[in-house]
Amino acid sequence: MTQSDLDPVRRPISTAHGLPNAHYTDATVFEEERDAVLAAEWAGLGVAADVPAPGDAQPLDFLGMPLLLLRDKAGVVRVFHNICRHRGMILVDAPRKIEGALRCPYHSWCYSTEGRLVSTPHVGGPGQNTAVGIERDQLGLLEVRSHIWMGVVWINLSGDAAPFDAHHADLIARWAEFDAPLYHGGADSTFTLDVACNWKLAVENYCESYHLPWVHPGLNSYSRLEDHYHIEAADRYSGQGTHVYRQLTAPDGQTFRDFAGLSSKWDTAAEYIAAYPNVLLGVHRDHAFAIVLTPKGPDRTQEQIHLFYPDPDTDANLRARNTAQWKVVFEEDIFVVEGMQRGRHAPAFDGGRFSPAMDGPTHMFHAWVAARVQHHRTPVHAAE
Amino acid sequence: MSTLEARLLNAHMHRDRAALVALYQEAADSAAPAARAFFLTQAYVYALETGHADADALRARLVAMGCEPA
Repeated sequence: MTQSDLDPVRRPISTAHGLPNAHYTDATVFEEERDAVLAAEWAGLGVAADVPAPGDAQPLDFLGMPLLLLRDKAGVVRVFHNICRHRGMILVDAPRKIEGALRCPYHSWCYSTEGRLVSTPHVGGPGQNTAVGIERDQLGLLEVRSHIWMGVVWINLSGDAAPFDAHHADLIARWAEFDAPLYHGGADSTFTLDVACNWKLAVENYCESYHLPWVHPGLNSYSRLEDHYHIEAADRYSGQGTHVYRQLTAPDGQTFRDFAGLSSKWDTAAEYIAAYPNVLLGVHRDHAFAIVLTPKGPDRTQEQIHLFYPDPDTDANLRARNTAQWKVVFEEDIFVVEGMQRGRHAPAFDGGRFSPAMDGPTHMFHAWVAARVQHHRTPVHAAE
Repeated sequence: MSTLEARLLNAHMHRDRAALVALYQEAADSAAPAARAFFLTQAYVYALETGHADADALRARLVAMGCEPA
């Protein structure tokens, strides 16, 4: 395959082109980006609320890899490769509670919820559970680096990214006022959208406010284009903010409680940020949300939406209204991301051009992807 | 088929792991010395998996027999 030319993507926005079609349609480029962009960085896998209690285990398929999200007996959320160190058997094939140890269903090697290999039955022959060369302390579950922030489980598959707190220090500081316990709203506060587009199109659309008056006309009544501002942090995140967030209010006047101690800016501000590569976050005075994008192929993406609140006891009806409100907004975006995906099969499309005034956050994401892929393609890196 | 074998097969069929812990211990206690560690190991594994209260005692027996690392 001829490698895509990414230099035009990294030009200044006024002359830049978007990523070439192959980055949305080609299986080989999808795999290249899997390694260069998703595995090498801190990517979103799911939410800690997926495993709320010690022993809860959830198998996940991420980029074709079988992973296991598990809350250990001490309450620490961990991510493992979901395979036994003996014969590579899948350990957990459906969400369940690990009561004691994690037993491989094949030859019954057992692991603690912290990943230690604790039993190797009959490994030295019937009734003999040790064998020369089978060093249990060397054969624990293969753990993936993980970190919890904003309720999201972030993983670094390559294992060599900077620590999460350092990598995202700027974003963590930006939203320090939301550094408080986040309570997932529960079953009525999550939904999944399966979308026929490349995962990057969901990021690109989320980053910018340019489309709001056309795709989300319901927002025009109170949130006009000029009420929004760009958020741009090269190589880390980009998005948009609004100065006119209006709280959801029930007919009886009820609202959600605010996060404690917020500055007055947040009375009417809200921010929507794509934390590269695949997590879309939103914060408001009274709730936050996370959208974890799981790439399922060059042209398929699963969007997991989760809503969080500053307090564990929120009104169920109000929560349901909030979920429904956001579902309408996110569903309104589907036709554009799927339309852009179909558009990527037009051979004459050159990646498109950007509005210098309105597309800065989107161009920043394109330029970042291009830089990461180019870095991955350099001979020195390839040799590693 | 002995009664114990039938009960073991039934417990496996119903994935009744608490019963498996007890039945494999029963098998160990009635087995010839050479086969005892096999049955204790079976009981221990299901005890480990389920967080059964007998897990520590079973492990101690296997350690004493030189079948499990101390």
